Amino acid sequence: MADDAERQAWLAAKPDAVLISAELPLRANLSVLENIALVPQYRSNASARTANERAWALLERLDHESCAHLRDPDLSFEQRFVAKLLRAVIAKPSIIVIERPGLLLPDTPYPRFLAETLAKLDKEINTLWIVDYTWHALLYPPT
Amino acid sequence: MARPPLPPHLIKHLGLKVGLLVGATAFIAVIFLIYTLFARGLFEPTRSITLIADDVGNVAIGMPLNFSGFPIGEVKHITLTDQGQGRVEIEVPTKHLHWLRSTSVFTLQKSLVGGAKIRVYSTDLKAPPLAPNATPELYTGDISEEIPVLVARAKALLDNLERMTHEGSSLDQSLDHGRTVLGRMAGDYGVLEGMLGSADKAKKVVDAIDRSNKLLASLNGLSLKMDQRVFGQNGVMDQTDQAMQQVNAALQQTRASLKKADAILANAKEASGDLVRLRAEIDDSVNKVNGLIDELNRKWPFAREVEMKLP
Amino acid sequence: MHYDRHMSWLTDILSQSGDALIARFATWGRTLRFGMVTLAGIFSPALYNSATRTVVQKQIYFTAWQILFGFGLFAALFSLILVRIASTAAQKYGLGDFALELILRVLVIELLPLMTALFVALRSGAAINAEVALMNITNEIKALEGVGIDALRLEFLPRVIGGVVSVLALTALASLCALLIAYLDLYGLQAYSLADFSRVVGQVFTPLLLFGLWLKCMLFGLAVTVIPIAAGLDSPHKLFFAPIAVLSGMVRLFFVLMLIEVGSLTITYL
Repeated sequence: MADDAERQAWLAAKPDAVLISAELPLRANLSVLENIALVPQYRSNASARTANERAWALLERLDHESCAHLRDPDLSFEQRFVAKLLRAVIAKPSIIVIERPGLLLPDTPYPRFLAETLAKLDKEINTLWIVDYTWHALLYPPT
Repeated sequence: MARPPLPPHLIKHLGLKVGLLVGATAFIAVIFLIYTLFARGLFEPTRSITLIADDVGNVAIGMPLNFSGFPIGEVKHITLTDQGQGRVEIEVPTKHLHWLRSTSVFTLQKSLVGGAKIRVYSTDLKAPPLAPNATPELYTGDISEEIPVLVARAKALLDNLERMTHEGSSLDQSLDHGRTVLGRMAGDYGVLEGMLGSADKAKKVVDAIDRSNKLLASLNGLSLKMDQRVFGQNGVMDQTDQAMQQVNAALQQTRASLKKADAILANAKEASGDLVRLRAEIDDSVNKVNGLIDELNRKWPFAREVEMKLP
Repeated sequence: MHYDRHMSWLTDILSQSGDALIARFATWGRTLRFGMVTLAGIFSPALYNSATRTVVQKQIYFTAWQILFGFGLFAALFSLILVRIASTAAQKYGLGDFALELILRVLVIELLPLMTALFVALRSGAAINAEVALMNITNEIKALEGVGIDALRLEFLPRVIGGVVSVLALTALASLCALLIAYLDLYGLQAYSLADFSRVVGQVFTPLLLFGLWLKCMLFGLAVTVIPIAAGLDSPHKLFFAPIAVLSGMVRLFFVLMLIEVGSLTITYL
């Protein structure tokens, strides 16, 4: 993306995509696990137990069970990113868009972290797009 | 991990606590509703009685019917009859119906403060029970209407009282006098002194009474003597008897003179000259009788104003 | 031109005050619309799922259960004072027979529900207002929408339901306390006067009045949640607007509570 205006125009054209963005926070009064479990609970009326088990399983897969009972302000950037990612993943949408991962993971070598994390969730994700500025293109492996 | 542990809930037994609270609320609500319905007598068999009153101005729906200060019924409807009177329908639970008798008196009393009260008085509890279709009268006694009269009377009474009690009033003086009298009564001659005003006067009275007593004693003696004088041998009565015999004789003589007069009157025309003599003769006889009566009067002390008149 | 220049200050003032008036009405309009949406939402079966249920439960827990003991104590003390005042005053003026009715009408029907609503408004209403304003400002609502969750259904309607239930529960509890205290104060610790007590209670609480009382409490419950939520949603996406959202919401809430109370009094006694 060349600039902010172009980014916003692009996002507006994809209304069915689930966005992972620095501007869209977790629910502040819920823990990470509750934030993730909320989606199946709300969307398919899953019982709290089932939803929590599914959320826990996802966290386990990414080795982030430690942050399950933490809330947003106590999370590291990585933990917060994982929580947001899993909250999107658990509903199995057709498209997930990670928007400007640099903002989400400012102190992490994020291209490698992203690649590793997404590899673990391979079966859960249908389509995933990463939206970033053109000047970050060098960070990503050529496709 | 074989099985993911469920997160420890931040709030312990959330569902239970909330369920308890909501359940308790619903319970309170339902129980209270049932309680009020019970309290309103919804589940109690009642009978409606109708009272007729001239004025139902102070009757309100829900007003209790009191018997001996105990509410036994409640006003349900107030309507107007065809005769322009007030109709008060009262619901009485059947368990209280036995207090209402055919002789019961229903009254509506309005008090100075607070609402009016409908009371029922059943003096004879052995009287036949109130008939189902009976419409007893509701007597209205309005205390508040009598208040102005009562106040006026009370005012007059208070005025009188004030007039009677102010300084120098007759009551005041009477009380003063009374006080003086009572003071005197405490003196030597007691009540007598109180009545007469001073000890001297009282003494005089006592003396007078003493003298009267003596006088009465002497009068007693006197009357004994008089008995002897009047009714004894040669007493007044004896002499009177003799005098009466003389009077009788004189009257015989007079009758004879009158017979002569009759004879003279028969030929009066011829002998009118005798008439003057005859008249003198009769006058003489009458004068004799008069003299006798005078004498009798002197001897008989009780007769008064006795005169013998010639016709 | 000349005329325009002279009159321009007036047109300025008028248009400014007119704008302010419209803005104020618009706020009320949005609040009312949100209330309508809420009412419609409460009765839609789609609302209820395990997530919203949890929010309802939490709202009731925080609004009613947490303060149950403290509020009960406060209500009991408040009732005791008012019962004593009412009974003493009534007996002083020779209206002892009417003391209970006075207590029921003033305390149980009017003051306790209003006091409960004010208590909940002060505590939970303000909290809800602040939280919704922050949710709105930090984009959480939009984030939830992003993962297919309607914030209205997940967060707001359950809070409204929880608030209404809480107000009803607290009012019922406080009223029960007041009735007990009134009985004990007027008749003492014995059960023989229960018939007398029941008669007055039955006379005062007609079924219609009970229904009205519950309706009023529900309206109170709706007000203490709907208005703060609407005020929170109304705030612009700037953090410094959060306090303004709270204060305007609370003022509006207070106004509406009084409006409901006056309305109920008008219906009851006119």
